[in-house]
Amino acid sequence: MTSSANGSALIEIKDLHKGYGPNIQVLKGLNIEMMPGDRVVVIGPSGGGKSTLLRVVMGLEQIQGGEVRFGGKPYIRADGRKTIIDNDVRKQIGMVFQHYTLFPHLSIMENLILAPRKVHGESRASARERGAKILERFGLGNKADAYPSQLSGGQKQRVAIARALMLDPKLMLFDEVTSALDPELVAEVEQVILNLAGQGMPMMMVTHDMWFAKNVASRVIFCASGVVVEDGPPEQVLGNPREERTREFINRVFHIRA
Amino acid sequence: MDMTLDFSILGRFVDAFALGLWTTIKLTLLCIVLGTTLGFVVGLLRSGTNTVIRAVLGFYVELFRGTPVLIQLFWIFFCLPLILGVELSNFVSATIALTLYMGAITSETFRASLRSVGREQLDACVALGLPRRAQVMNVIMPQAVLRAAPTLLSNAISLFKESALVSAVGMADLMFIGQNISNNTARPVEVLTAVAAIYFVIAFPLTRVVTLLEQKLLRKFSA
Repeated sequence: MTSSANGSALIEIKDLHKGYGPNIQVLKGLNIEMMPGDRVVVIGPSGGGKSTLLRVVMGLEQIQGGEVRFGGKPYIRADGRKTIIDNDVRKQIGMVFQHYTLFPHLSIMENLILAPRKVHGESRASARERGAKILERFGLGNKADAYPSQLSGGQKQRVAIARALMLDPKLMLFDEVTSALDPELVAEVEQVILNLAGQGMPMMMVTHDMWFAKNVASRVIFCASGVVVEDGPPEQVLGNPREERTREFINRVFHIRA
Repeated sequence: MDMTLDFSILGRFVDAFALGLWTTIKLTLLCIVLGTTLGFVVGLLRSGTNTVIRAVLGFYVELFRGTPVLIQLFWIFFCLPLILGVELSNFVSATIALTLYMGAITSETFRASLRSVGREQLDACVALGLPRRAQVMNVIMPQAVLRAAPTLLSNAISLFKESALVSAVGMADLMFIGQNISNNTARPVEVLTAVAAIYFVIAFPLTRVVTLLEQKLLRKFSA
C-alpha cells in the first residue's frame, strides 16, 4: 500500500470510523485504496458495514473518525463532531440504490434530466438529447414518457443507472442493486453493469451474487465487523481465500448456492 | 296534522335556494383557498426546526382540532369583537372561523404527506448532487402535494358541509334560507329534504372523485 504516496489512487479511505449512537459501531477503522481502473466488489456478512461504507463514500453519512480522499484531494473528513464533505467532489460520484429510488411523480425522461439541469445548468433540449441516447442504449428507448410505476423492477433499476450516468460520474457505487429484483430480471441489470465495466467505468459495489462478483470484479474486498478482513483479486478472495474468516464465509455462501 | 307532501311548493323558492347556495359556495371556496394556504404554511413551519414557532403553531392546531366548529364560530362572532373592540360582520367572522379551522386541519394533512416522502428520496437527491432548493421544489414538495391531494379534497368537502353552521350566526347561506322557508311555509319535510338533497348532489360526486384520485395516486407511488 504505497500508492497513496504517488497520489494516483482514485479513492483512499483511511481509518474510517462510523457508528450510530455510542453503542453501535459499524465501521471500526476501515482502510481501502481504490485505483482508477479498479472495479471493487465488497462482500461480507450482513451488518458488516458494506452498505454503510458505500453510503459514506457517497457522502450520505456522518462519520466519527478518519477520512476519504478522492483523486488525491480531501473529500470527507471527521472534524470533531462534524463531518466535512466537499460537495464538488461528491458531484463526481454516482450511486444506485437497492430500491430504485426513482422520482415517482416524474416521467423517465424527467427523472434523467432533472439533475443535469439543476446541477450543471444544462439546457432542457441538450439534456433530453443525451437522455434519449442513453435510454436507447439501455433498451428503454420507448419508455421516455412512461412513469416509474409503469416499469418492471429491472427496467426501473436500469433507469436509475442511466440517471446516475447522466452526470458523467468518475466513480459509480452500486448498493445491492439486484437484491430487490425478481430472479428473471437480475440478468438485464447485471448486463448493463458488465457493459459499463467493459468500458472502464470505475465502480465499487456491494452484492450477494457471487457469480456476478466474479465476473465484474477486478478486486474483491471481504468486509466483516467493520474492518477489511481480506482484499485481493477475485480468484484469491472468492476462489482461494487466505484468511480463515473469508474462507468460512465463502464456503457458506457457495454451499447454499450449490 | 296534515302529512300530505307537496314538493311543488319548492318551485316558488328556486331563486332563494340559488342565492343561498351561491353564498355557501362563495364562502366555502374562499375559506378553502385561504385555509389551504394557511395550512400549507403552518404545516411547513411545524416541520421546521424553530421550536418556538412549532410550539405556538402546535397550540393553534390542537385548539382548532379539539373544539367544535360551532364554538369557534360563536367565539369569533360574539367574543372577538368585544376583545378587539371592532364590529365584525357575520361574513367576516364566518370566513375567519372556517379559514382557521380549515388551516388547522390541512396543516396536519401537509405535515403527514411531507413525512411520507421517504428518506430514500432524499438520499437519491443527495446522490444526484441536487441543490437544496431543487430537492425541495422539484422532488419533495410535488410529491407531498400529490400525496396530500385526496385528503385535501376530503377536507374541502367537509368544509362545504360544515359551512351550514354559519346559518347560526345569521349568514344567509343555503341552510339559513332553507330554515327560513321551512318556518314560513310550515313545510319542513319538503324544504329540509330539498336542502339536504342539494348538499348531497354536490358533495357525493366529489367524494367519488376522492376515491378515484386515491386509487390513481396509490398506483403511482407504489413504484
